[in-house]
Amino acid sequence: MYCISEKQIDFILNDISARGIEMVSLQQDLLDHVCCIIEQNLKEDGDFESFYFSCIKQFYKQDLKEIEEETINLLIHKNYYVMKKIMLVSGGLCSLLLSVGIVFKFMHWPGASALIVLGILMMSLIFLPLLFVLKVKEKKESKEKIIIGLGTLAAVSLSLGVLFKIMHWPFANMLSLMALFVMIFLFLPIYYFSGIRNPETKVNTIVSSILIIVGCALILTLVRSPQGTRKVYVQTTNTYFRNEQILQKEHDLTVKSTSEIEKSGLDIYNSCEKLKELLLQKETGVTKITSDFDSKNTLISESSISDYLAMEDTSDLKQQIENYNLKLEANKQKIATDNSFFTSENMKIDAVLNNLIQIQMIVLQNQRS
Amino acid sequence: MLYSSELIKGTLKTIVLKQLENNKRMYGYEITQRVKELSLDRIQITEGALYPTLHALEAEGLVTTETEYIGKRVRKYYSLSPNGKTKIDEKISELSDFMNTMKFLLDINPQTV
Repeated sequence: MYCISEKQIDFILNDISARGIEMVSLQQDLLDHVCCIIEQNLKEDGDFESFYFSCIKQFYKQDLKEIEEETINLLIHKNYYVMKKIMLVSGGLCSLLLSVGIVFKFMHWPGASALIVLGILMMSLIFLPLLFVLKVKEKKESKEKIIIGLGTLAAVSLSLGVLFKIMHWPFANMLSLMALFVMIFLFLPIYYFSGIRNPETKVNTIVSSILIIVGCALILTLVRSPQGTRKVYVQTTNTYFRNEQILQKEHDLTVKSTSEIEKSGLDIYNSCEKLKELLLQKETGVTKITSDFDSKNTLISESSISDYLAMEDTSDLKQQIENYNLKLEANKQKIATDNSFFTSENMKIDAVLNNLIQIQMIVLQNQRS
Repeated sequence: MLYSSELIKGTLKTIVLKQLENNKRMYGYEITQRVKELSLDRIQITEGALYPTLHALEAEGLVTTETEYIGKRVRKYYSLSPNGKTKIDEKISELSDFMNTMKFLLDINPQTV
């Protein structure tokens, strides 16, 4: 039996890694294997080097590296099936979550938004990335890989954009616009022109391209243009401004005709005034809308009251109104608090502002009647 | 007569698992020698097929490894994991099923109707 020296072990190890075996555990396996063969078969006075080279040659067909390649191949192959399974399960699950979520939303059952958010997240963060990884492995050309990459990027940002939009999270518009940009100006041209050259995929490519363009167009028809948005804001602000003017007139008339507004009414009136100032300050940067709001660009937009106020901030006013209603004489008008910003935290800010004006008007009218 | 590597490829996992079941723990060289011996030199597992298979089995969780130092070099012993022990019967019955089908398909052992 031949006795291998430490120097020879180093020599073999160096040779194995020089031949392209990089996985340490595989190096160990092969080193031990070669040593066993040498120990078993080489005579004590045999020529180590020539025996080693003839022995290692039997390990492979072209070169030693193919063992490592085969190992990696088998390992990836295994992951491939696991990934495929996860992709299919997550895809099925997210379709289920989304459809159930939409049914819940239409029926106004609780939990709808949680289902929809979970569905969209699962689709954009698990299903689509896995689809991308698996498809990329199947394609050989780098051009095809780029097409799949761009398509996935556009699809992920589009679905996240929709999610951000319905949840009123920031950057929703930017995400959707980026998605549409990538889809129409990057993905579509590359996909279309590489697809129609191949007679086999020609019809499919044209049909898919038409579907993508029509889909993007349908989404864009639902989006209001920036000019359109501004026009709506100007109208909203104008309505509020006119209401505010009417209120002012009523206030002046009331103060003129009767001496003083009675205490509990005045408290409500002033609380409303303060709330309006606070909301306007946060929404437009000024505490009062003036007639030149269009040129000064102090416009009331579509923010929701929950962006600026918590429910507690209005609870004082609600308490004042309830006390006021209790003490009210029979012939006077009560101030309603249901179906208003006291009960719904998602109300739009212009509705809240006009609500406050209505409360003030009722106080004034009760004073005069 | 030596069987071609194509024939051995599909059965290699089962062969390796069975050897590990019979011998508790083995290192790579030992497996090739044992199989060669048992098959009367007719099955020679190549290194290029054995080690990728062992690594794949390890990744699947069917075998576990422990390392021991032999002088300066490391020897890796492979043994069945609990998962592998339950899997082996399944693998063997699948293979024997396959062999029966092959017999029938290739008319090796003509069956009477």
